[in-house]
Amino acid sequence: MGIAGLPKKEANVLRGHEGAVLAARFNGDGNYCLSCGKDRTIRLWNPHRGIHIKTYKSHGREVRDVHVAPDNSKLCSCGGDRQLFYWDVSTGRVIRKFRGHDSEVNAVKFNEYASVVVSAGYDRSLRAWDCRSHSTEPIQIIDTFSDSVMSVCLTKSEIIAGSVDGTVRTFDIRIGRELSDDLGQPVNCISMSNDANCILASCLDSTLRLLDRSTGELLQEYKGHTCKSYKMDCCLTNTDAHVTSGSEDGFIFFWDLVDASVVSSFRAHASVVTSVSYHPKDDCMITASVDGTIRVWKT
Amino acid sequence: MDADEEDYVFYGTPIEREEEMTSRKKKAVAESSGLLRSLPPWKQEVTDEEGRRRFHGAFTGGFSAGFYNTVGSKEGWAPQSFTSSRKNRAEVKKQSIFSFLDDDEIAEMEGHSLGTSLQFDTFGFTAAELARKQAEKEQQQRPSAIPGPLPDEIVLLATESIGVKLLLKMGWRRGNSIKDSHTNSLYDARREARKAFLALSSDDVSTDLAVSEGVKSDLQNAIELPANDDLKSSESTPVYVLNPKQDLHGLGYDPFKHAPEFREKKRLRMSGKKELGLKNDLFAFKSRKVAPGFGIGALEELDVEDEDVYASGYDFEDNYIQEVEEPSGLVIESKQKLGSKEKGVLSGFKVASKLDYQLERFDPPVVPKNFVPHHKFHAPLDDSNKHDGDPPPPEAIAPEDNNLKLLIEGVATLVARCGKLFEDLSREKNQSNPLFSFLTGGNGCDYYARKLWEERQKHNDKSKQLLDVKSSPTVQKMTAESRGKILGERPLERSSRDTNSSVASADVIQLQFNLSDTFTKPASLKELSEIAKPFKEDPAKQERFELFLKEKYHGGLRSTDSGGASNMSEAARAREKLDFEAAAETIEKGLRGKESNLSTQQFMEMSATAVMEFAPGGLEQAKVTQAEELVIKKMYPKREEFQWRPSPILCKRFDIIDPFMGKPPPAPRRRSKMDSLVFTSDSVKSTTVDETVTSKLPVAQLDPQQFSTDVNAREIEVNMEVEKVERPVDLYKAIFSDDSDDEVENSTSNQVDDPKRKIEAANTTLNRLMAGDFLESLGKELGLEVPPDMPQSINKARTSAPKKESNDVNPGNISSLAVENKPSSTYTAVKGTSVNQEAPHDKAYDQESTQEVRSQNNELMLDSPSGSKIKVTGSSENESSKIKAEKMDQEGRKAKTPTGHRQNWSSDSSSEDERSRKRSRRRRHRSDSSDTDISSDHQDRYHSRSKGRKKGSSREKSSSSRRYSKHHKRGSRDSPSRSSRHSSERERSESKREKRR
Repeated sequence: MGIAGLPKKEANVLRGHEGAVLAARFNGDGNYCLSCGKDRTIRLWNPHRGIHIKTYKSHGREVRDVHVAPDNSKLCSCGGDRQLFYWDVSTGRVIRKFRGHDSEVNAVKFNEYASVVVSAGYDRSLRAWDCRSHSTEPIQIIDTFSDSVMSVCLTKSEIIAGSVDGTVRTFDIRIGRELSDDLGQPVNCISMSNDANCILASCLDSTLRLLDRSTGELLQEYKGHTCKSYKMDCCLTNTDAHVTSGSEDGFIFFWDLVDASVVSSFRAHASVVTSVSYHPKDDCMITASVDGTIRVWKT
Repeated sequence: MDADEEDYVFYGTPIEREEEMTSRKKKAVAESSGLLRSLPPWKQEVTDEEGRRRFHGAFTGGFSAGFYNTVGSKEGWAPQSFTSSRKNRAEVKKQSIFSFLDDDEIAEMEGHSLGTSLQFDTFGFTAAELARKQAEKEQQQRPSAIPGPLPDEIVLLATESIGVKLLLKMGWRRGNSIKDSHTNSLYDARREARKAFLALSSDDVSTDLAVSEGVKSDLQNAIELPANDDLKSSESTPVYVLNPKQDLHGLGYDPFKHAPEFREKKRLRMSGKKELGLKNDLFAFKSRKVAPGFGIGALEELDVEDEDVYASGYDFEDNYIQEVEEPSGLVIESKQKLGSKEKGVLSGFKVASKLDYQLERFDPPVVPKNFVPHHKFHAPLDDSNKHDGDPPPPEAIAPEDNNLKLLIEGVATLVARCGKLFEDLSREKNQSNPLFSFLTGGNGCDYYARKLWEERQKHNDKSKQLLDVKSSPTVQKMTAESRGKILGERPLERSSRDTNSSVASADVIQLQFNLSDTFTKPASLKELSEIAKPFKEDPAKQERFELFLKEKYHGGLRSTDSGGASNMSEAARAREKLDFEAAAETIEKGLRGKESNLSTQQFMEMSATAVMEFAPGGLEQAKVTQAEELVIKKMYPKREEFQWRPSPILCKRFDIIDPFMGKPPPAPRRRSKMDSLVFTSDSVKSTTVDETVTSKLPVAQLDPQQFSTDVNAREIEVNMEVEKVERPVDLYKAIFSDDSDDEVENSTSNQVDDPKRKIEAANTTLNRLMAGDFLESLGKELGLEVPPDMPQSINKARTSAPKKESNDVNPGNISSLAVENKPSSTYTAVKGTSVNQEAPHDKAYDQESTQEVRSQNNELMLDSPSGSKIKVTGSSENESSKIKAEKMDQEGRKAKTPTGHRQNWSSDSSSEDERSRKRSRRRRHRSDSSDTDISSDHQDRYHSRSKGRKKGSSREKSSSSRRYSKHHKRGSRDSPSRSSRHSSERERSESKREKRR
């Protein structure tokens, strides 16, 4: 895929959030997307038609992250109210609330079977919550981090999390091992490549770093954008050919994965781009910003 | 019939005879037709139309429900059923008389119900109450003294005044007037009576009727009056209206007295302002920036997180804000009026062109030019002070006459104390006295002058000290000469008699000590050209660090607050000093590294395996020294590996087998300060044992805590071993048989040996030796006596080592290596115990390994001393369990070596022990039976061999060590290509041994 394949044309603008949108995520097949923001709501959209479908309200403070189960039946969300909410997508009801984090929860993810929700909190811990049982106690607390945990990724057998203490830690459940990759810079967001071999870590020194997961080797660094104080997302395109991230000045950057050159960058939003999410199959991307809009980008 | 029935066999159910049925029906009909009704109710048996008794339920009527079994029927009542669900809770029903009455009965009851009526307001309480409520309602509309929606009930008085209390006791009610309503009427009545009396006395009877009528009417009035009065009195005391004074007028002044139209205007303005103010209150969150549009809950405080971090001068595109702040029509109106007011043009007024009133200003008083803003004191300064500037008179030789000398000195002190006046006086007095000729310039004049000066100096100092307390008492004024004297310098012109010699001896020491305190010697490091800044984040700390460096390397004047700011605690200071030392060391190292042109790769390795690595807490900043910044990019990302225990439920939910299944819960990972020290990984060290200077870290000294715990753990084991040593001979059977196996196996495996395995074996041996060292010292501590038999064990260990052809390798080789690692230790026999301790674990792993059929290749990968872990993870999926075991084996071994990954694996090793023990126990049960014969015949074989090998060594002496050496060897020989026969046999013997233990 060349540069032409990058989604640079604005296809839709999703308006409705009052205030900053903190995260926008495609669902598993990329037909819908979810967003959450400072207005304490989670919204479900059809980004391709630009339709707002549903609003989920229950959070007491801003919603920082949302994730949808692979079967699209459940949602989990987290935010400033120190709780995780486990939602039923169709009815919009909260099935369960998981309390236990000592402060704000930064990120949340379902595992493959949607049986466990793993959350990363400002309280320097990762917590795993059981969706199957009625217990609202965490089934696992990982507190080896020495600073706020910003982002979490899950594979079939691993929990990967990035923290402000500069480490990306991989917890291998199968072996019972913790691998800590110290990047030396606060890690803002991590995202996994689609072949699951690499981890892209967004550091607060305005650098994206690509790590080899098996060896912990630093493969590439991507620079050019600004990321110094906001929690911002980064991701790889669905072909793993490019790396993309927002910038604090409202720009979106695309880098070539291999030679780390800025392939494209353009102003997408009026303010900080908080979140980027790439379509799992098509050349489509959604970006969310502090300006309260979510924009859908296509080729 | 009976007989017939016995003979026949019947199939199916017999058909009921028709006559029976009909008879029952008939009966039922007959009963229902009123036959039974004649019976008293308690004797009646209720049946349905079929004539059967119906059971309604134990609590819903039994057999007879309702009046003649009418329950559930049209004319009967429906039984209540109790249902309650989570959604629809059954409320507790309270039965009243109405629930047992029909509608018409209830309607009948209604007429008799009692109620209160406003019409009967006898004492006027109700009216007063109503009035008060009305007033309160008005009050709420009025502006309150306290802004915000605060009800005035809250600020009611807590206590009542005594007057109110008294009045209440006298029967006064709130809202009534205090005025006695009867006084008036009584007075009136009396007056009327008097009138009537006068009229009666003066007038005739004709007026009688009229008078009586009048009286009657008066009386009527008098009777009526109180009632009226009551009514009046209920309204007599208005509720006090709290109307706060909000303007700046004087009390009681009404600016709108003659212009009521302005009052209205003002009211409108006020209401507009109030509305606006309310809005401001709601939306201005204490002048902090708050995310727009959303408030927070009533019970939550405004926190930091509610601040709008994103608001960077950006206005939202949406127009929802306008919706919120849509003003009411009233406000608009008031605003318009306000606007017109701002112009200052009221209708019918115009602005005055000239202001009558003008503020009068006065100039400040003129300060005279010669004024100096200082207060002068007139008291005379000490006259001796003026001598300060005088150059000291030259040293003078004291006169030979002792009396004269004493006299001179005495006069000098007196003069110095009392002033010049005393000198003049004494000079006048003693003009004739030849003794005092020194005053006038005679004998001893210069000595006197000198003495006087000295005394004055002394006196000056004292008075000065008294004068200003600020000058530190420690600072003693010292002349160049006196200091020179104290320091032992030779003065240019030295008198034969040193006047200050007595002072010196004590002071010399003192001063020199002080000097050594004040000055520091420079350290040998010369080139610290650029000052590293490891504590950039904390400027104060950096400053202190620089100071510290300066002290260390440059020497010079020692700062007064060396070693931390004065406000730091002693512990903090000490810690900081440690930090500084460490940082300085790293800098130094970095410089040295640059000097010697180490390649970055090497340097990286060095620092990765370096002595000290700073933990994220506290010491972290030291990482960022400038020297290391060069390699910082190469250093990151840095990978570390820890054990992590997922909870079983997590594994279950992830559909993964718990890797720690059946293991005891791990000890919590220690998070002490000592954890920050990462020791050389033992794999790396083994390759670079001889060259890494850094690995010479004295572990015991650095980490006494962890060692003590380890010691505790091992103490027990050692004790066990000691017991074993004293066990009877049959114990050795197992050993010997085992050993013989080993020997055979040794011969075979030697041929298959490959270099990698040899290295591995050597490494393990080395580790053992180091462990042995440690345990040896431990043994010493515990006072254990184990025969010194180390060389043999080493020999055995070395059989599979590179020099396999020569079984009698000199033990010194290895021992020297070990000594290199841990210089403090020496070999004694305790080493044997250590090896023995480890043997079971290794054996356990061996068993495991032999149980599983492994490929040679895999084994090699795993056992290769460096980078094994990575390869383990890289290996294929289906071997994972095997790999796991293998890895644990390695880890366990590592944990046992004292310089291993101490803090990471400390918990692991213990659990590993547990597991291995368990496993061995299990095996023991399995292979209990067939072992004695094998062991017995092996026994003598071993005898001969051992005798042959090591001559003259008595069995008692080497009993333990021999055994250990055997284990030792096995541990070292982790060969994958062992035949199954060997392994099984060994297993058996092992298990036997375990059993005996």
